[in-house]
Amino acid sequence: MQDYLYDNNIDKFPVAMAYVPWQRFDKMFDDLEKAYCTGTIFPELDKPFTGRRCV
Amino acid sequence: MGNNKEQLLRDIGIVDFVLTELTLYLDTHPFDRNAMEYFNHYNRIKHQMEKEFSMKYFPLNTSMAESNKEWRWGMAPLPWEGVCG
Repeated sequence: MQDYLYDNNIDKFPVAMAYVPWQRFDKMFDDLEKAYCTGTIFPELDKPFTGRRCV
Repeated sequence: MGNNKEQLLRDIGIVDFVLTELTLYLDTHPFDRNAMEYFNHYNRIKHQMEKEFSMKYFPLNTSMAESNKEWRWGMAPLPWEGVCG
């Protein structure tokens, strides 16, 4: 899985294409109960919808 | 961790959720050692909890159903009998 660094290769990326940055995982939530209720163990994926936009 | 049956069963479910999340991540990041350590850690915890639950209450799957007096797997309550909490 070739991983192109998003930030400094942006000019090489063709236009009109969607790009999803690669997930970088470091630390998961400590409180498993809270993670379970939140719906993810990954802080970087914890994006609650606030009625207008995600945080 | 939990002591009574419902709490222990819930905790097993939570650790199982954590393992599912880590599995999904590792499927796309197969060389992430940090994630693998997390997985191994929680996988061992889940096995211990399942073993404890199986000894105290009933086996949750047939791999824990070792029996001598009676066939514990068969005697275990069925999910729709409302015992599994």
